[in-house]
Amino acid sequence: MNAFAIAFVEFVVRLAGWLVLAPLLPGIINKVKAWVGGRRGPPVLQLYYDLARLWQKGVVLSTLVSPGFVAGPAVAWVAVLGAALLLPLGPIGASLSFHGDVLLLIYLLALARFCMAWAAMETGSAFEGMGAAREVSYAVLAEAALITAVLALSVHSGSVTLVTMLTPAAGAGAVLLAAGLFTVLLAENCRVPFDDPSTHLELTMIHEVMILDHSGPPLAAILHGASMKLLLFAVLLVEAVLPLGGLSRLAAAGALAAGVLVVTVGVGLVESLMARLAFRRVPLLLTTAFLLCLFALLVAWKGGDA
Amino acid sequence: MTPGPLLLGAAAGLAAGVVAGRWNARVWLALTLVSTAAALGAAGSLLLGGAIWEFVSTFPIAGQPLHLRLDAVSALFLALVAIVGGAGSVYAHEYWSNQDYPQSAPRGRMWWSALLLSMGGVLLSWNGLHFLIAWELFTVAAFFLITLERQRRDVRAAGWLYLSASHLGTMCLFAFFAALAARTGSWELGPMRERTELAPLFWLALVGFGLKAGMFPLHIWLPSAHANAPSHVSAIMSGVTIKLGIYGLLRTTGWLPLPVAAPWILIGLGAITALFGIAFAFAQSDLKRLLAYCSVENIGIILIGLGGALLAVADGHAVWGRLLLAGALFHVWNHGLFKSLLFFGAGSVLHATGTREMSRLGGLWRAMPWTAALFALGAAAISGLPPLNGFISEWLVYLGLFDAVTGRSPAAWAAMPAAIILGITGALALATFVKAGAMIFLGAPRTAAARHAHECGPWMRGPMLVLAILCVAIALAPVVFWPLVARASGAWQPMWTEMPVPASLFTLGSLQIALAGLALAAGLTLWWRARGAGAPRHLTWDCAYAAPSARMQYSSGSFAGIAGGWFAWLLQPQRQLRRPRGLFPAIATRVERVPETVLELIFTPVATVILQVSTAVRRLQHGRLQYYIAYVVVALAGLGSIVVLGGRS
Repeated sequence: MNAFAIAFVEFVVRLAGWLVLAPLLPGIINKVKAWVGGRRGPPVLQLYYDLARLWQKGVVLSTLVSPGFVAGPAVAWVAVLGAALLLPLGPIGASLSFHGDVLLLIYLLALARFCMAWAAMETGSAFEGMGAAREVSYAVLAEAALITAVLALSVHSGSVTLVTMLTPAAGAGAVLLAAGLFTVLLAENCRVPFDDPSTHLELTMIHEVMILDHSGPPLAAILHGASMKLLLFAVLLVEAVLPLGGLSRLAAAGALAAGVLVVTVGVGLVESLMARLAFRRVPLLLTTAFLLCLFALLVAWKGGDA
Repeated sequence: MTPGPLLLGAAAGLAAGVVAGRWNARVWLALTLVSTAAALGAAGSLLLGGAIWEFVSTFPIAGQPLHLRLDAVSALFLALVAIVGGAGSVYAHEYWSNQDYPQSAPRGRMWWSALLLSMGGVLLSWNGLHFLIAWELFTVAAFFLITLERQRRDVRAAGWLYLSASHLGTMCLFAFFAALAARTGSWELGPMRERTELAPLFWLALVGFGLKAGMFPLHIWLPSAHANAPSHVSAIMSGVTIKLGIYGLLRTTGWLPLPVAAPWILIGLGAITALFGIAFAFAQSDLKRLLAYCSVENIGIILIGLGGALLAVADGHAVWGRLLLAGALFHVWNHGLFKSLLFFGAGSVLHATGTREMSRLGGLWRAMPWTAALFALGAAAISGLPPLNGFISEWLVYLGLFDAVTGRSPAAWAAMPAAIILGITGALALATFVKAGAMIFLGAPRTAAARHAHECGPWMRGPMLVLAILCVAIALAPVVFWPLVARASGAWQPMWTEMPVPASLFTLGSLQIALAGLALAAGLTLWWRARGAGAPRHLTWDCAYAAPSARMQYSSGSFAGIAGGWFAWLLQPQRQLRRPRGLFPAIATRVERVPETVLELIFTPVATVILQVSTAVRRLQHGRLQYYIAYVVVALAGLGSIVVLGGRS
């Protein structure tokens, strides 16, 4: 088998991994919430059943929407998948890596946000307008935090390529970076304390309220894309903090999987133990995340000087 | 073909257009298109590797020998002038036609040709005096284009503000070129980096060119001028003429020695301009004002790139300096293309509905599918999203800044905040253009005007399509355009002549193609899977409310409420609230307006004080002879006493 075929097989396995494993995370979170609440909860594989069912269903469209209403979720899904494929996976590296790929990753997530907000505005519903406005506004602070976190990683590793940025042993700022990135993860994936994915009271939501009018296959694409985004942030957080580059291949793979599991359980615990913040507090928390990342950046800078 | 005959042909065609525009629209259009095509050919031949074209004549104009020169930097800007100039003339054929505007359409054509001609003059002049003459001509031509609809009061006000602000800038440029000529002994321009005593002149050039470019806080003239001008004029003003300010700064920084602080100030001003520009843009509810403020933001991005490149030059870091400069130059093109596209789209909306107020529009995609689709493309491009061209230039700027940081040079202290501010700016730009696109084209029509909209005709659609295709071309094949930009970089900084395509740009270009293909495929698949066209249609699910009205939709102001609130200290929004009172409240209103804060809160008060002082001083001028004689006597006595006292000490 030549090198090209190996690379192709590896790419297909990687793609399948992202597509198949992502919907596990919301299931795990829900299970954790159920355990903490003393319930049995839905099965871990619930999202898989939901996706299969939604893909079979028909679609009802609002009288107001243009084709962009369906195209938006599709493009957003492609963008999140593309961002996920750029991310190196511990021992096996990235399928494609180039100088400055981390910026493409950040902007692919922005593309997904643009498409989702656009699709939400298609319906002309005040609720969805509210959700879209919240999504794009809070993203301003989340993006500042994310860019700062990436800067910290760049300074620490002296590189702007994801593979080399995420391999070295985490510096002294790892704790700060972890806290900042975890907060960004919660905000970007609309989890408690920024948003409550389990309520259905539209006034209080961000993500859920943006997809009220979606049904059938487009809704399946949105839910699957959201789970991939959650996995993406979890992997990014784990790789930014854990020094996977120093471990053997098997240990690194195990550490990555364990780390993602810990992050997921952490999200579930936060969701069980905290209430959603009042909306006017959200910017404060995001600013805190930004400051944490900023301190991580300064620590990385000083660390390099020493 | 050498650029010479092409440029001569273009100049002759445009000069003929100044005359022909008065009497025949079709002849004028043909002349303008041929001229712009010739100018584009000249610029293209130079950028593709042709030799520098130079023309020196001993024949004096205004006492100075004529010296014209087209190098790669001029050619880069000339190409933009030609493309947008040509597209705008086609657009104007329908948008500002003889039928609709019998009075002003001929004048508009005439000044359009004059504007293009004088902008070409600015780009080719190699003599300070001729540069100033061309600069002044193009400022005046733009003034007459802005005030085409001069029966409207706000148009006249915008025109006067533009004219007076521009002349403040021109005054600085007069001082700059005159001081330069006085110290070098010649009006001839060109590299003079070894004359370090010329460095302080940079500050004059920064104010003069920065004012034209719309740099914060000198942007005060820009929003009202760009909003009130006819849309094809707004397009060329926002897309091209403010770029001549950037051209001036590029020339100044390329030729003259700079003060040590200049790169730092430039990158700082760029960051402030980008962030504040987009904050103002986000809060606007007038579509064209929003686009105008967004131009301020994009000038900021270009200035970040230019300032960073200067830091690299000062420190001798060619690698990331090239990336920053290439990003800035790419952004000059990209912004010129998508901003013109967006202004053409805005003109099409204005043409169809008669309003620029976004909260009075909505649901236009059904009536105007072409405009909606092209505007959406432009919106995604200007938000810097992959796989479009805005991302290419922003990625280059980001990459340059990140490389400066990882290189741990002193420039990192400017690059780190600039990168973070660029990130915030990008996210706000995304919010701004989701808002603009959604308010105009999505949802339900909010007023009768929006309900009765109609698509624009082929003359307006064609130029938009051409600009959109160019945006996509740069997006999908950046490596094809890289050598052109690299030549301009080499002309700017002779040490940077060899700029091979970065390998990562090649990868990025391929990924952009893959992404565009996949996005298209996914969109079509899902539309097919959802049986989009045949799907049952029902009312929007508004929490089960069965009788939603279009007025219930989120409006422009409510969309901007959250993030706009974070910038309230800057925007100083004016709010008027009349609460519902009593058991059966009849009236309740809430009016919110974002003023031209910098103009109204800073410039106007200062100008008022100056005016009051001048009025007070004017009391001395009353025309009574005996008092004048008294002034003379007092002055003489005063002078005499100074002489006497001074002699003693």
